[in-house]
Amino acid sequence: MFPPPADVATGRPGGPGRPPVRTVVLAALCIASLGLAGWAAMQWRRPGNDAGYMPVQPITFSHRLHTAELEIECAYCHSFADTDRYAGMPTGDTCMNCHRFVNAPSQAVRDEVWAAAREGRDVRRVVSDAMRKLYLSQGLDTALEPIEGIDPVPIEWMRATRFPDFAYFDHRAHSRVGVECATCHGPVQTFERTRQALDLSMGFCVACHRESNLTGIDGVPVEASVDCVSCHR
Amino acid sequence: MSSDTLSRRALLSRRTFLQAAGFTLAMSALGCSRPEPSLRAVRPRQSPLAAPGARVQYATTCGGCSAGCGVLASVRDGRPVKLEGLPGHPVSGGALCAAGQASILGLYDAERLSRPRIHGAPVSWSTLDARLQADIAAAGGAVRVLTGTDAAASPTTRSQIDRFLGGFADGRHDVFDVLSCSAIADAHEATHGVRAVPRLRFDLADVVVGFEADFLGTWISPVEFSAQYARARPALHVQFESVVTLTGCRADRRIVTPPDGLGEAMAALYRSLAERAGLDRGPSRASSGTGRTGEDIPGMAARLWRARGRALVVCGSADPALQRLANGINELLSSYGATLDLTRPSRQRLGNDKALETLIEELAEGRVGTLVVSGVNPAYSFGSAWRDALMRVPVLVAASERLDETSSLAGYVCPVPHPLESWGDYEPVAGTLCLRQPLAAPAGQTRTLEESLAAWMNRPADAVELVRRRWRDDVYDPASDGPSFDDFWDRSLREGRIDRAGQPAPGGVFNPAAVDGTPPATARTAGTLMLVGYPSLSMLDGRQGYNPWLLELPDPVTRTTWDSCASLSPATARALGLGDGDVVRIESDRRGGDAIEVPVVVQPGQDDSVVAVPLGYGQMTSARFANLGPAWIGRAWPDENGGLVGANVAPLVAAGHGPSGPVAARLAAVGRRRPLARAQAPERLQPMDGAEAWGSASAGVVVRIAGADLGSADILPGVARRGAAGLTLWDDHPYPGPRWGMVIDLEACTGCGACVVACQAENNTPVVGRDEMGRERGMHWLRVDRHFLGGDDDPAIAFQPVTCHHCGRAPCETVCPVLATTHSSDGLNQQVYSRCVGTRYCMNNCPLKVRRFNWFDYAREGESFGPALNPEVTVRSRGVAEKCTFCVQRIQEARLVARQEGRPLQDGEVIPACAQTCPASAITFGDLKDPQSQVSRRRSSPRTYSLFEDMGLLPAVHYQALVDPGAAGEDEGHGA
Repeated sequence: MFPPPADVATGRPGGPGRPPVRTVVLAALCIASLGLAGWAAMQWRRPGNDAGYMPVQPITFSHRLHTAELEIECAYCHSFADTDRYAGMPTGDTCMNCHRFVNAPSQAVRDEVWAAAREGRDVRRVVSDAMRKLYLSQGLDTALEPIEGIDPVPIEWMRATRFPDFAYFDHRAHSRVGVECATCHGPVQTFERTRQALDLSMGFCVACHRESNLTGIDGVPVEASVDCVSCHR
Repeated sequence: MSSDTLSRRALLSRRTFLQAAGFTLAMSALGCSRPEPSLRAVRPRQSPLAAPGARVQYATTCGGCSAGCGVLASVRDGRPVKLEGLPGHPVSGGALCAAGQASILGLYDAERLSRPRIHGAPVSWSTLDARLQADIAAAGGAVRVLTGTDAAASPTTRSQIDRFLGGFADGRHDVFDVLSCSAIADAHEATHGVRAVPRLRFDLADVVVGFEADFLGTWISPVEFSAQYARARPALHVQFESVVTLTGCRADRRIVTPPDGLGEAMAALYRSLAERAGLDRGPSRASSGTGRTGEDIPGMAARLWRARGRALVVCGSADPALQRLANGINELLSSYGATLDLTRPSRQRLGNDKALETLIEELAEGRVGTLVVSGVNPAYSFGSAWRDALMRVPVLVAASERLDETSSLAGYVCPVPHPLESWGDYEPVAGTLCLRQPLAAPAGQTRTLEESLAAWMNRPADAVELVRRRWRDDVYDPASDGPSFDDFWDRSLREGRIDRAGQPAPGGVFNPAAVDGTPPATARTAGTLMLVGYPSLSMLDGRQGYNPWLLELPDPVTRTTWDSCASLSPATARALGLGDGDVVRIESDRRGGDAIEVPVVVQPGQDDSVVAVPLGYGQMTSARFANLGPAWIGRAWPDENGGLVGANVAPLVAAGHGPSGPVAARLAAVGRRRPLARAQAPERLQPMDGAEAWGSASAGVVVRIAGADLGSADILPGVARRGAAGLTLWDDHPYPGPRWGMVIDLEACTGCGACVVACQAENNTPVVGRDEMGRERGMHWLRVDRHFLGGDDDPAIAFQPVTCHHCGRAPCETVCPVLATTHSSDGLNQQVYSRCVGTRYCMNNCPLKVRRFNWFDYAREGESFGPALNPEVTVRSRGVAEKCTFCVQRIQEARLVARQEGRPLQDGEVIPACAQTCPASAITFGDLKDPQSQVSRRRSSPRTYSLFEDMGLLPAVHYQALVDPGAAGEDEGHGA
């Protein structure tokens, strides 16, 4: 009913013609950058999204070395994953099963052998810093002799993968039906320092539960409950 | 952009919308997503016992009262989190009472004594031992040890005390029970020559007559008696009582009798029976036949006489004359050897009031040089009568868990560990030996009484060594227990107890001369009020007066919390012009008692001549609760009683040597009001038009009584199931798997409240305090409603546990705007705390009022019991609604275990905390879809109904109607 206002700069009448290319590009850029910023922020940190959390541990422990290189099974250390709710952290004496004999990286031992040969002396016992801490936690000195007056104490590992307090996760239910550790913990065999690989959000859990109900796990049908109380109680 | 895409965009799903809305919140929360680093300490050595977080159960013995129930304690990561009855235990039978359930909280009480003290100054044990030994020698005089039954019924402790006292020229061990049964033992000494409290078998009795004995609530061994009573309900149960007790409420006939009318009724009964037995023992054969209550005593005698050998008469009076009458009646009825066992007597109340009388005389005369007090609190129970005497004892030693009225007077305070931290043994019934083992490392420097005594005898030993030695020497029998004592010990520990048939003690021979058929003289002058201190269900003997779970547990009858109230009958209250909440001052002429000021509660069904105040309140250890609960602007409760919870009535009714009968009381209004913190309004139910609140035939009833046609299909003819068949807007749920459900048998339920505390312990339900309880903001997920039927003078009283009904068509689910409460595939009405925004629509729409709202962050603002929390259940924060979950954590655990073992879930494998602990087995839980399950079978009973059937809720909780005692024939049992 009313004529569209005239364009001030060009004096051309407005109207249902094609908008100027510049405006379209600008608008598209604005929308795209807003969207990008939003997407980036969502990917970066949502509340409770701890993906990438990588705490400093009291002892520099490498999952890559132990699992990829030395091919130790996850369950050797996290021995309750098949039978209990928590997979469990290995106690110091589990470490000592091997580290009673392994005191340092092989390169350090080789270096010491060479150095001793060069200097014409006896080869000294090499104990790495990490092992020193482990032995101390067991109340042992570097020669693995008990230290007077020092009791074994727990190693205070920092929990890297954490589930919120209002959700309950049970390892045995998942390991029993063949869910791989890596499904939730990521490629741990590549981690020098342990981190939470995935966001472990509710969407992550529910998507997998829904999919497994349809396809099963390794072809075996499963009952993955999607009731709220399965996790929230 | 085509209109097609637009319209699809417009149909944003709810989830997408919330995600988008959540995005803005996410921006503001950037960078603070991880609150604190989390340490994961691991044991230095692998423990062979358990995986982290896994539940391990150990058998031990409950320390909640002196009944000695066996318990299974669930331990997680080295801390006990829940107690349950030990299945198959001769006393507990797999159940546990409210006090037992709550006793675990004492373990986490920060106010427990942690170091020995001399005159208030913390010292080391070696200092205390050395100085005490020197002081005992210097003080000279007699040495006395005063304990409760707990120490006396423990073979190890008793022998240790005897050895300790053997080292002195004049040593004696006295035993005192707050809820004394000394009169029973004294009477048996007179009538049978055996000083013992017989073991009672209510399950073998067809006719039970009770005189003031609250055996289903507080008397001797209530868990055991409730189980027996529920298992084989007597065909007739008559209860004479003045105060309303749980036992009276369950009786077929409850006869309101003034305390001084008890003797008359018993004597009349005795004479009637003696006549039938052909004995002529009464002074006058022309006795009226009816007692003061107008009851047909000869008729009752006839009924008892017909049930000879299957009858039981129990008396809770503290008067030995009445107890002798009860013995005489039982002897006439041939109950000894049938329903009463004197050959294997109960050892759950070993107190001797006569010895106590001697002790207080000795104390007053200054003949006692050293007094060791353990497990009892005479300065509380007898007030100033003992306080002054105790203060004059040169060496007063208190072995105590907390600083109480007595231990604060003691020069030497020896902290003892909680029963869940200590080694020990217990013999609740002669021949049944129970073990107690520590389930947690002791907090602080504590020592059990037997360890302390060993140290003072210069033979220090650990409690475990003492118990083991005792068991090796006196209990272990290589002939029957196998060659290895260690195996025997391990087996006994695992099972929690052993039964030693052994040689039964002589049952005694009845001495007819000891029973006199004349009614004992009545002391009361007409018109005086009698003060009765009755044991309250939660406080029992008062040893858990510090326990907030028990203080907040509503009294089953008065429904009050956080207070001791003076109950008056409606007529008496009217006559005195008093109403609920009016504060009265009560005095008696007892020496040790100070006057108390308590609010009145009007109690229908109580005798008009009685003012009743619960025992166990007003303890020093409850002072910390003066300001319990969230501090906020609307708080209104005044602090009274010096900040203590309730008032201590014990000295007003105590005779200086244990509880006496009722005493004359002076009662005066103070002119002040103290609003009661009640869990249930005192008003009666107001039924809607055309419906009865009680009755056997109307829809919409709350409590239903099955009439004479019990067993016929049309017992519920009025139930049209209108709603069930009526309209609904939603599709019904398919339930592909099980549908969990519950049936509660009102005929079995005694109203004891064990389920309420069990639920609280299992589900981390917070304690809210008096102020919040008064605002009806209690957080118990399970409540036990009390309903009156009939007039004020003698109403019938019914108890009804009410919890979330997990309705198939749940009103709460349809009104939640954020879908925080939804229906699960197995029929649970699930509440998701992390989704709830606190509109409380669900609570307003719930017809059962079972939903609770977290008005405050109770876990942080209230009394927090962090380590006592069950790690299996979320601790709710402020602003969310919560309610019963059917113990979903237990359902999931059972399901996981079954899956792990590759088998289907069995019926009875999932037991919620309430059903597990119920002494009367009134609660059945299981799959309603499985027709063979126990719950389905109970559900199909003609007695079964559900609440508000006309609403069409399709609830998962059903009730079995009460059985009308008049309708069931006189000789028929309460079956079906």
